[in-house]
Amino acid sequence: MRHAGAAPATRRRWLAGVTAAAGAAWLGACGRPGAAPAGRAAASLWFTYGGRNRATLEELVARFNASQPDFWIRAVFQGDYFEGLAKLRTAIAARADPGLSHVVGEVIPYLAEAGALRSLAGLPGARELDLVAALGQSGSWRGGADRPLVALPFNRSTPIAYLNQAVFDEHGLRAPESWAELRESARALTRREGGRTVRYGFGCPVDWWFWVALVGQAGGEVIEPDGAVTLGGDAGVRAVELWQRLVTEDASMKPPPGRDYNAWEATNQDFLAGRTAMIWTSTAFLRYLEENARFPVRAAPLPRDVRHAVPTGGTHWILPARGPDAERAAAWAFLRWMHEPAQAADWATRTGYIPVTHGAIARLEAQGFYTAHPNDRVALRQLDVALPWPWAPALFRVQREIVQPRLERAVLASGSARELLEEARGIARRELG
Amino acid sequence: MSALLRPRRPYDPWWMLAPTLALLAVFFFWPVAFAAWRSLYEWDLLTPPRFVGLRNYASLVESGLLGRALATTLAFSVVVVIGSSALGLGLAVALNRPGRFASVVRGAIFSAYVVSWVSVALLFLWILDADAGVANAALAAVGGPRIRWLSDPSVALYALAGVTIWKIAGYAMVLFLAGLQDVPRALLEAAALDGATPWRRFWRVTWPLLRPTAAFVVTTSLIASFQVFDVVRVMTQGGPVHATMVLVYAVYEEIFQNLRVGRASALVVVFFLLLLGLTALQLRVWRARSAR
Repeated sequence: MRHAGAAPATRRRWLAGVTAAAGAAWLGACGRPGAAPAGRAAASLWFTYGGRNRATLEELVARFNASQPDFWIRAVFQGDYFEGLAKLRTAIAARADPGLSHVVGEVIPYLAEAGALRSLAGLPGARELDLVAALGQSGSWRGGADRPLVALPFNRSTPIAYLNQAVFDEHGLRAPESWAELRESARALTRREGGRTVRYGFGCPVDWWFWVALVGQAGGEVIEPDGAVTLGGDAGVRAVELWQRLVTEDASMKPPPGRDYNAWEATNQDFLAGRTAMIWTSTAFLRYLEENARFPVRAAPLPRDVRHAVPTGGTHWILPARGPDAERAAAWAFLRWMHEPAQAADWATRTGYIPVTHGAIARLEAQGFYTAHPNDRVALRQLDVALPWPWAPALFRVQREIVQPRLERAVLASGSARELLEEARGIARRELG
Repeated sequence: MSALLRPRRPYDPWWMLAPTLALLAVFFFWPVAFAAWRSLYEWDLLTPPRFVGLRNYASLVESGLLGRALATTLAFSVVVVIGSSALGLGLAVALNRPGRFASVVRGAIFSAYVVSWVSVALLFLWILDADAGVANAALAAVGGPRIRWLSDPSVALYALAGVTIWKIAGYAMVLFLAGLQDVPRALLEAAALDGATPWRRFWRVTWPLLRPTAAFVVTTSLIASFQVFDVVRVMTQGGPVHATMVLVYAVYEEIFQNLRVGRASALVVVFFLLLLGLTALQLRVWRARSAR
């Protein structure tokens, strides 16, 4: 016969066992994943990619860790660029800086002026990294060479055009070389069935980066060399009006839903699904689009208005100023390793980003990579017409708060481009001085 | 107070409340107080805070952000509260019957409520795609227009409200079903014997007894709709053209994307006061009704 009190006692023991096991599992999970082996100097690397680029970076990190006995890099995923930046800034405020991270170029002047970045100039070999000037600090910002070195190029890009070659062949079209050709091609490639657009000729996120490219092509600058925020003047207006015509007048451009990188992703998916015949997006997606499209993908340079021009994009390596000293050696060893030709070339060829050192480019040329992959050469060639960014701490505020919302309003709600940009200039003058 | 009525262990309730109070203090009172204090500063987390008094509040008003976010949130809430309550009530009345089929349908409808917001948002991103989505395909099949659900500024907010209604209507339905179970059958049968039509039975008997449930449903869905974030984050990120910039998303964008901690804190304070006011109003209505 079972004792009346036995059941609760057994249940209590069972519950206690389960709780202890769960607690142990939780404590185990709290242990740092990828903890450094004993005797190695370790550093945290906060990175901001998903998908293929993340897998490639993690594989490179694993290779670095396996390649030498002294250092260990712990790669930690932190969301997209904006989420990663928010976390980095919060960590800096909490004095818990990671040893190493990478951030978009637009915020580097702001972080540098706030004293959040460690100078790299004194680190061994920093000046001998053989960088492609247009991608490094010296060429990415006006006067970048005259400032303390705080950033090294990592995943650098330019916007490029991606064409569905099968559809272009079907229509006997070539890649548009001017804005006028862009409009004509987009109109010709757009297909409507029963009042419904089944394929748009052109797709592009209504995003600041592409607008800056258009402003440059129309002959303008967003911020003048003297620091005045002109937003390109007439060139800025022409840039917005081109989008307006494509979206409203021609109905040949699909404005993707969502904002920021959601809109970028929607643009990619529309292209892959055949819903747009040509898109503008970053060279960063080259490998991804080539491998996932069920049609031949051709890359082409962006067209010109009065001149060819593109901004550079992507991110730069930084060492946060208050990152643990103990992590500095490992972080720097990893950065030097990543700039060696083999790794710089590997990163570029497996993602689509531009190789950041001359050594990597020479290696790829010698291997015949660009002959076999002509799409990869497009962004590289566009560096000849890349415009440097102004070294303006307020640049990201101009981007996020002043210009971006008005671009959306102008294109999606058909506001007057001139009035909206005039309003934006007024706010920039008032708020930024 | 007589000695008999005086508690022998007067501090015990406080000890019992202490863990909850400690959690509230650390995760609620202190953050709100800190936000109120920081709302008087211009601060980007990196450079030293600069005291600006009420300028953050003035800037929120002048830039139109506060007015826009309030109006957007209110419009969203009104549509969601009315839509989810009405749909939940209708479903509850329709499914308040025995049988396997009704219970399967009830379970299916309620299942949407327990699915994560992110999954629901991703699903509806596909359904509401202007060109390849199921919604427009269905409209096209009956000769309807093509609607840019998520990229038309005049439509996007209502599209998100529709998604929210779809998700939370099951919750309202379950509450109304519980309320309907409490309606005495004798009253309904008496009304039927007196010749009352089904509509008059519902309106004169069922609805008055369902009012407390309805008040609870409205209160909880109002608070939930004011706190909407996930669906905006995944589906529209506040766009197009700020058309879905609800208060909580505006706070997120100000602090995490625009790096303006002061302005975000000012928004939090306004949001807090707004919810406080709404809660006080609801309490007052409840108490007045209880007194009657």
